[in-house]
Amino acid sequence: MAVIGLVLLTGAAAVATRSANALGLEERVAQHRLANGLTLLLMERHQAPIVAVNLTYKVGGVHEHNGITGVAHLYEHMAFKGSRTIGVTDARKEQPVLEELDRLAEAITAEKTRGPAADQTRLSALRKQFAETEAKADSFVVPAELATLYQRHGGVGLNATTGKDLTRYFLSFPSNRLPLWAAVESDRMANGVLREFYKEKNVVLEERRQRTDNSPSGRLHEAFSAAAFQAHPYGLPVIGWPSDLDGLSKARTEAFFQTYYGPANAVLTIVGDINQKDVIALVEQTFGRIPARPPSPPVLTTEPPYAGERRVEVEYVAEPQILIGFHKPGTGHPDDEVFDVIESLLSDGRTSRLHKRLVQEKQLATSVSAFSDYPGALYPNLFVIGATPRAPHTAAEVEQALYEELDRLKKEPVTPRELEKILNQIDAAQVRALRSNSGMASRLGYFQAINGDWRETFKRRDRIAKVSPEDIRRVAAQCFTKSNRVVATLVRPPKQEVESKP
Amino acid sequence: MTAAKSLLFALALVLNVSSGFAQTAPLGDPRTMKFEPVTITVPEVERVVLENGLIVYLLPDRELPLVSVSAMIRTGAIYEPADKVGLAGLTGIVMRTGGTARLAGDQVDEELEFLAANISMGIGAESGAASLDLLKKDLPQGLAIFADMLRAPAFESAKVDQAKRQALEAIRRRPDSPGGIAAREFRKLLFGADHPLGRESTTDTVSRITRDDLVAFHRQFFAPNSLILGVTGDFEKPAMLDALRKAFGDWQPQTVALPVLPPVTASPGAGRSVNILRRDLSQTHLRIGHLSVKEDDPDYFALALLEDILGGNSFTSRLFRDVRSRQGLAYSVGSRIAPGNAGPGIFMMQALTKGPSTYQALSSMLDHMERMRQEPVTPEELQLAKDAFLNSFVFSFADSGLIVGRLMGLEYHGLPKDFLQRFRDSVVRLTKEDLLRVARLHLHPDRVIILAVGKDNDFEKPLSAFGQINVLTLKPGG
Repeated sequence: MAVIGLVLLTGAAAVATRSANALGLEERVAQHRLANGLTLLLMERHQAPIVAVNLTYKVGGVHEHNGITGVAHLYEHMAFKGSRTIGVTDARKEQPVLEELDRLAEAITAEKTRGPAADQTRLSALRKQFAETEAKADSFVVPAELATLYQRHGGVGLNATTGKDLTRYFLSFPSNRLPLWAAVESDRMANGVLREFYKEKNVVLEERRQRTDNSPSGRLHEAFSAAAFQAHPYGLPVIGWPSDLDGLSKARTEAFFQTYYGPANAVLTIVGDINQKDVIALVEQTFGRIPARPPSPPVLTTEPPYAGERRVEVEYVAEPQILIGFHKPGTGHPDDEVFDVIESLLSDGRTSRLHKRLVQEKQLATSVSAFSDYPGALYPNLFVIGATPRAPHTAAEVEQALYEELDRLKKEPVTPRELEKILNQIDAAQVRALRSNSGMASRLGYFQAINGDWRETFKRRDRIAKVSPEDIRRVAAQCFTKSNRVVATLVRPPKQEVESKP
Repeated sequence: MTAAKSLLFALALVLNVSSGFAQTAPLGDPRTMKFEPVTITVPEVERVVLENGLIVYLLPDRELPLVSVSAMIRTGAIYEPADKVGLAGLTGIVMRTGGTARLAGDQVDEELEFLAANISMGIGAESGAASLDLLKKDLPQGLAIFADMLRAPAFESAKVDQAKRQALEAIRRRPDSPGGIAAREFRKLLFGADHPLGRESTTDTVSRITRDDLVAFHRQFFAPNSLILGVTGDFEKPAMLDALRKAFGDWQPQTVALPVLPPVTASPGAGRSVNILRRDLSQTHLRIGHLSVKEDDPDYFALALLEDILGGNSFTSRLFRDVRSRQGLAYSVGSRIAPGNAGPGIFMMQALTKGPSTYQALSSMLDHMERMRQEPVTPEELQLAKDAFLNSFVFSFADSGLIVGRLMGLEYHGLPKDFLQRFRDSVVRLTKEDLLRVARLHLHPDRVIILAVGKDNDFEKPLSAFGQINVLTLKPGG
């Protein structure tokens, strides 16, 4: 295998900066679809006897609405608690206890939602019962059994992420333990159990305190997204509103799992020291047994068109920060790559336009960056620029300077050298991506899940090569207007409020 | 344990070991599955010393048309003058941005970014580090710039000023990050606010730094005989050695005297030290710990395994299982042992918990620390920690950069080059009695430093139960 790899790559090296599929990805990646709809991507890399797996589900914050915000992320936490066979001593005896716990939780929520009329005596009686039942449920728990199985067999980097569009589970391990992984992971896909559900809500609330409530940028981003989308779920926080998390029932969470965690919603990518044929057989034997589920419902809400700048301020005791967003189309639009090119022009590297102008020349900011698909990629989203002003300069000065740079895009054609630099960067990034099994698995799985085709990893490059200076001028003029933008700034609260508390 | 015995450390240029599994493996209960031990073949890394004392490690890896050169330099912020804290960091930054004799800083950036070549440069507390990463075809150009930067950086005044302004803004923004506050204050408590390992830059120390200081700092520490290079990627050894000789060969060696680090006297004290730094936060940052062993301490391996069980391993450690999963008190909780090199190491536990559960979280963590000393770990815990370590050992050799980087680090810190193999062999032999012995010897819950950054009015009980409270304040500009 190593010899074949070398031959392929030696041939590739000479054309690395010209051809997008220079590294022979088309030949090296195998795609297989199971009868139940699961998509499997495989790539052999035999540098070390290890393998990286990435299981990506096409579900995330975008499938939520007010009332159940945070459910996709909470479920991701629950997926580490095991299944009907893992993480429990006796699932049959556990089940009625869990059901009793749910009844008590629902009763507490019902009582609490009566607000000032809530019966406090009843509430505290219910809470006492709840605590006792929870202790009983705990007695069935085999703590961290899933992670223990993986770690004992050398698994590393076990984790997961939840975003707007995707929820991704991943780890790496010695490649001869693939059967163990397939058994555990297919069990987790088919037989998720919401164990330690109520405790995990508290863990997530701590995560929210850490990422959002006590973080200046976390607060700013939450308010910014909420201001940008009045209808589309991209405006909702993935971590969830605290009250939604508190009230979220297990029944709603279970329904969410049943709706979105079907095999047809999953892309499974495996990169490393594997034999493709063996792995296909293994996956068929395990994941292949999972019954197909009905297709998950589409996201119906679209953001209604509107005109008019929206501005929000977030008061918090911290130095200023600013976020500016412009509405734009989502994945699949013919201008997709034009925005990608603009993002690179503006903020990739020290020679990018915003860094040169705002950080180096005018020294108005300590950092500035642009993202072309905020907060998700799949649906119409925002082109966002974020900056941290450098004292004594203000957010207003930074904002003005940013608009001047955006106006330049509308007026002056971009130079061929700038475009060539971007292509060189993309080509080199494609080569570097192949250094890591987990990075490659993540990349292939991402494009398969978002664009429906892992080949986008290199097809995209060819479209970027076709972007012209006129395309950039046209898209900039269309998108970067006052009536299309959302601006959020972090400001200090009025003085007297600051001093009232230590 | 069986896995460890068959780990193979043959010195051969074999990068590739296939370890397929049986196609018809019956998938039963994953808890009882058994697998062949993982065998790895570690490639031989060549070490060459150039005539001027520059040490080079070479490991070709022809998978991709890329070359990486990394460097370690004998320097560090611990060697900068006390009234100019921040100097080492600024020197590293402006070496990268401030141009060379041949090219202005902006031209360097233009050239590198057009080639999609990356150069990084930085000076940390106990070492300097630099790296070059590029497509093989661009090696001559990239290597020339890289060598110029290391040997004769131009330190353009405008870039020095810019780096200073950025550093000052970073100091202004320190209070915005509670985690950053906790990390810096905890180091001050451990090592002393004036000790090179504990101190931090301030508006005053940064403002005082001049371009001449950067030039002098560079001249004092950057010499070929202070440098270790590691080269990986797509190259032939003889050609690479020629290129390195061309780039670095005429660099004259010089005597580099590293200032002696003063002894640490700040801790541990006679008893616990409880410190509160008041911030208007809904979540408390808790840090608990004390100074610990150096990396070459014979007990380090046992302590590291013990620490995996206490709070190091994600999901399965005692702190994770109890404080997070069972009690739901934290999202981030764990422990860490950072063995010392220049100075003592650190043992610490940390958690972020809401104000009204601060006492409970702290109390639980201290109980867990105490329990490590009171009773041996269970056989299951010991076995899991060993299996996790031994079966994931292969990841220490997952790519050529890791293999070479480790050898560089070991040489830099004066540790034996088979350090990792010794670590593995030692872990295989460890017993629960060994762990109990090192816990009793090296964990001191009665003498820990406790730091809570948060709103103590919200704490469910005062922390005075743990010792006399010392209230810290953040100094503006510090």
